[in-house]
Amino acid sequence: MLKQTNYLTKVYGLPEGWTLATYEREARGYQAARKVLTTMSPADVVNEAKKANIRGRGGAGFPMGVKWSFMRPHPTKPAYLVINADEGEPGTHKDRTLMELNPHACVEGCIIGCYAIGAHAAYIYVRDELHLSKARLWGAIKEAKAKGYLGKNPFGKDYPVEVYVHTGAGAYICGEETSLLNSLEGKRGEPRLKPPFPAQAGAFGCPTTVNNLETIAAVPTAFNLGCEEFSKLSSIHHLNDGGVRLFGVNGHVKKPGVYECCVGLTLRELIYDLGGGLLDDKALHSVIPGGSSTPVLRAEDVVHAPDEKSPLHAWHGKSVLDVPLGVDTFRNMGTMLGTCCATVMAEGTDPVACFHNLMQFYRHESCGQCTPCREGSGWLLRIAEKLMDGTCSMDELNTLHDVANGIMGNTICAFGEGTAMPALGYLKKFRKEFEAYVKGERKGKDARLAVGAWGQS
Amino acid sequence: MPTFKLDGKEIPFEPGDSIIRAAARQGIEIPHYCYHPGLSVPANCRMCLVEVKPAANQRAMMLDIVEWDAALGDYRPVQKPKLQPSCQLPAVEGQEVLSDTSKHVLEARADVQEFLLLNHPVDCPICDQAGECKLQDYWLDHQKTQKRMRDEPVHKPKAVVFGPTIVYDAERCVMCTRCIRFMDEVAKDPVLDMRERGNLNEVFVAPGRQLEGHYTFMTEHVCPVGALTTKDFRFKARVWFLRSAKSVCQGCATGCNAHLDYDPRYNKAYRYRPRDNEAVNKYWMCDGGMLSYRAAHVGRVTAAKVKNKKVANDAAVAEITKRLSDAPSDGIAFVLSAQHSLEDNWALRELARLAQGGKKDLRVYVTGAGPGYKDDILIDEDKNPNTAGVVELFPTLRPFPQLIDEIRAGKVSHVVALGGVTPRNDPEDATALAMVSTLIVVAAHEGALTEAAHVVLPATSWAEHSGTYVNRQSLRQRSDKALEPQGASRPAWEQLRAIAVALGLEPTWTKLKDIRAQLAPTSAEPQAAPVGVPQGKPSVAPPTAP
Ligand SMILES: Cc1cc2nc3c(=O)[nH]c(=O)nc-3n(C[C@H](O)[C@H](O)[C@H](O)COP(=O)(O)O)c2cc1C
Ligand code: SF4
Ligand code: SF4
Ligand code: SF4
Ligand code: FES
Repeated sequence: MLKQTNYLTKVYGLPEGWTLATYEREARGYQAARKVLTTMSPADVVNEAKKANIRGRGGAGFPMGVKWSFMRPHPTKPAYLVINADEGEPGTHKDRTLMELNPHACVEGCIIGCYAIGAHAAYIYVRDELHLSKARLWGAIKEAKAKGYLGKNPFGKDYPVEVYVHTGAGAYICGEETSLLNSLEGKRGEPRLKPPFPAQAGAFGCPTTVNNLETIAAVPTAFNLGCEEFSKLSSIHHLNDGGVRLFGVNGHVKKPGVYECCVGLTLRELIYDLGGGLLDDKALHSVIPGGSSTPVLRAEDVVHAPDEKSPLHAWHGKSVLDVPLGVDTFRNMGTMLGTCCATVMAEGTDPVACFHNLMQFYRHESCGQCTPCREGSGWLLRIAEKLMDGTCSMDELNTLHDVANGIMGNTICAFGEGTAMPALGYLKKFRKEFEAYVKGERKGKDARLAVGAWGQS
Repeated sequence: MPTFKLDGKEIPFEPGDSIIRAAARQGIEIPHYCYHPGLSVPANCRMCLVEVKPAANQRAMMLDIVEWDAALGDYRPVQKPKLQPSCQLPAVEGQEVLSDTSKHVLEARADVQEFLLLNHPVDCPICDQAGECKLQDYWLDHQKTQKRMRDEPVHKPKAVVFGPTIVYDAERCVMCTRCIRFMDEVAKDPVLDMRERGNLNEVFVAPGRQLEGHYTFMTEHVCPVGALTTKDFRFKARVWFLRSAKSVCQGCATGCNAHLDYDPRYNKAYRYRPRDNEAVNKYWMCDGGMLSYRAAHVGRVTAAKVKNKKVANDAAVAEITKRLSDAPSDGIAFVLSAQHSLEDNWALRELARLAQGGKKDLRVYVTGAGPGYKDDILIDEDKNPNTAGVVELFPTLRPFPQLIDEIRAGKVSHVVALGGVTPRNDPEDATALAMVSTLIVVAAHEGALTEAAHVVLPATSWAEHSGTYVNRQSLRQRSDKALEPQGASRPAWEQLRAIAVALGLEPTWTKLKDIRAQLAPTSAEPQAAPVGVPQGKPSVAPPTAP
């Protein structure tokens, strides 16, 4: 259901929209934080936050309030809030808009988050190349501090809160939360083993909550509306997937961008109503629903959920494009909602070239710590390259799924699945096209990734 | 003791045990590369994956994968359970774990094996690790398929000199980080780390540094493959021709347990490797100790000498008889050696007793190597393997400098000594030793004493006989015979017996077992854990580890 909102994005287009003055004037800026710090206990905040049904916006979709409730005071160690603004997933471009255009929502969310989980410091981890994002966040922090919203006594409350922006060097794997923590500590960005989970031993060995930047930026809105009211904005509130979120659309659409809507929007609405339809009004070929790790959907795919207990049953037999973009709905479709930024591909796009493009990325970004991902990602790319070169044999094509199967579930972090799932997705859905490359019916030099106004590649 | 089930078999475990550790205690090996019982757990190789049966009220976490259905001409969706690394997974009472009996586990092992060999140069013929390499062993045990990737593998730096002792081959490296963790956690010198990413990863030495210090050999030892080699052992031997003897390092009073690897065809020692002993050296040895196998061949006394002229053993014994026959009964000094075994020293003490007719106040001294470098990891400042042993045999030992003083004072004219070395390198000592009328030395190694001796009898080194050494923890440790006696050398206790017989005394020992029977048992028996060291933790390394 298409319901555009502007809780998070109201200040996006405004002149000086990123300043404290605009935020307070237009978006009830810092009212939520003031209310939370001056009238609620941390336990109340966590309980209230659970009702908002904010599913983590970083990709895994874990309920934010539940994650906050994992934090337990440690007898000697401080707690930390760490905000994941690494946003390295290909096809994902939403967190950056918040940092650049509404940085105060991020800072206000940090104040509430810190208070809820018992932390006095929040680190926002931003990749180095996002210079404007960092400058806007630091600017917002400075303004909030000058007003007394941050610092020793925010809103007069004896509960010190500081927010820092931490620069990362820009590696996809540093978006994985434990790898991010290592990087934050100045170590090599390699994921850690779990357990212990960050809530037990996170940043500097202290209890830590890691939230995605959009997750935390949605918090002020939820508390301004009342968390339950916020959740009910969603048409799949009953699936514990609430509120509003940023929907991104990119690829072969006329109006790529980031749109704020109530949860419950469908891919069709995102592509055609918000994204303005496909370039040159071409037909839709396929769509990667939420970042490169989420398996691809074909335009003609339909939902198969005959089981009445399935959360998808209501859409049984319908096009996948008409299913609300939700964490559980998409998981049950054999893909994932991921970061909720869809990459759209028009007719004429070559799926084998897409596969090759993705495998290049994963081969390049694997941290190399664990065997299946280190070697498997390289092998997948090698075969993809041979496909594109026209030198891949049928045996090698038939090896591809074996390689992906061998990565799946056998790695330290979810990067492994993030590589294997899209690989298997492309194989399952486009086997004929892969075979065409082996038989020489298709050639890498003719393969297209881009269409229309963007020319060829 | 709580238990869990591994492939249907009850496995007892101690609180805090991982599955792999508890299984290893029962002699069951779960294949692994990165896990090492003495190091932290990175769980990065993924070779040790096991399947854990979900508890009664839980469902297994399943993963969606596909199979190729040739008849159908399409992929078929299938599921597999999420496996767990047994090196990381804590043992839980009643838990059911599948290792060798799970199809999924066997598949995962074969996959990991195939991944590890994907870009491996397979240069086994020119690799020193061949024959004791986990990649080779596990290929046979867990993979047994041909290479499917027929393209040029990824190339990386080879024969990188890490420092004075170690050479690295990045192409053979399985990135298990054992070497990195060893330097960080045990040697306390985090000089190694990983650089690059993905399948370009390689181990490197911190810029401006070398891999150096007292524990570099251990990096090679913990390396499960041939990526790290020691300059010392490189291209020297094929391990399958080597035999091993359970040995005890002679480098210092720590008495690290070791395997002495030797080639019986050439009667030659090739290297030392640590022998796991939780109570003494855990899994480690120091560099000095690792190289000390050379002492089996270097600086040895292998022929009898009279006044520096080589003679047959018999002739030397005859000379000894002649020289000792006119010795004043209280003028003979006997010098035990902290470098020699308990048995050798016992024989000399017996000879002293017999020669001096049960006189109470025997002149018994001690020699050995002088003190040196020490640390709080393994290395002891006492550079003798058996100081505690000689003190146990003769608690009122007089130190070596006193011998020198008493020679100068004219109180000592005849000396019978064990071992060649003296604790200090003092020219005055040589002058003093030159003053005695008779100096008889039974020794395995050359030193100031053999140099000054009138008569030398060659003794076998620790490598050529079975001997007992008492380390700094008062632990009696047996070191087995590896090599055959070199030259005319005989065990010192045998040579001392020959002297006793020649002197007309009646030795109370003929064989080694006679000595062992008479060696007073002590509170610490051979190989027992001493007081204060946690018991019940024998070697937890599987027999093939590391
Ligand atoms: C390879 C990999 C990359 C990731 N990159 C990001 C990222 O760039 N930003 C992000 O918020 N989460 C990323 N995540 C997810 C985080 O690990 C973590 O789940 C998330 O930050 C938690 O925040 P949330 O619960 O608010 O979504 C990544 C995960 C993996 C496995
Ligand atoms: S799965 Fe890949 S990215 Fe994650 S720890 Fe392993 S090698 Fe690194
Ligand atoms: S050199 Fe050996 S020990 Fe070190 S990471 Fe490589 S394989 Fe492991
Ligand atoms: S510490 Fe002492 S006993 Fe152990 S290996 Fe080194 S020299 Fe030998
Ligand atoms: S032994 Fe390497 S993952 Fe367990």
